Amino acid sequence: MVESIPLKVGQKVPSFEIETYNPASEDFGTFNFEKAKADRKWTILFFYPADFTFV
Amino acid sequence: MGAEVVTVSTDSKFVHLAWQKSEQELAKVKYTMGSDTTGNLSRMFGVYDEQTGMDLRGAFVINPEGVLLNAEVNFYNLGRNIEELMRKFKANLYMAKKTSEVCPAKWKDEGDATLSPSPSMVGHVHEALGKK
Repeated sequence: MVESIPLKVGQKVPSFEIETYNPASEDFGTFNFEKAKADRKWTILFFYPADFTFV
Repeated sequence: MGAEVVTVSTDSKFVHLAWQKSEQELAKVKYTMGSDTTGNLSRMFGVYDEQTGMDLRGAFVINPEGVLLNAEVNFYNLGRNIEELMRKFKANLYMAKKTSEVCPAKWKDEGDATLSPSPSMVGHVHEALGKK
């Protein structure tokens, strides 16, 4: 199961984990992709350039 | 809606905290803010700009089985349309339940006409859409 980087639509997304800030709980944490899948959740990733900028 | 929405930029989680607390536009934000300081996740999705160390405006929908179903990438100056993203997400959710149906171009929400592909429909999509 080797995916080429960058990923293409239709490919399986490999495991990943990312550090997070959660505004609802005002806490730091991590988002674990394997856990989201285990919880039967869809994952929507929304990338953007930088905080404190516009649009 | 059964989805984990995670926003991601290359800023640290500390900057996310500071931004969310100081910018009134973000006061109501409840979704998780991810921090990709190394750029590794951004590179995996092809949105990392090596020149600036920032991410392009990419939105990706992944189903619970881990398959990437949708990708949209805009250059820095074009904001994304949240309605379009929600439309795509709802369409994906709907089709995951009704695997024999597909959502045609004008589909917006549950209840809108869908198509059930079959040999008899080949060359007759116009009629198929008109009948519903």
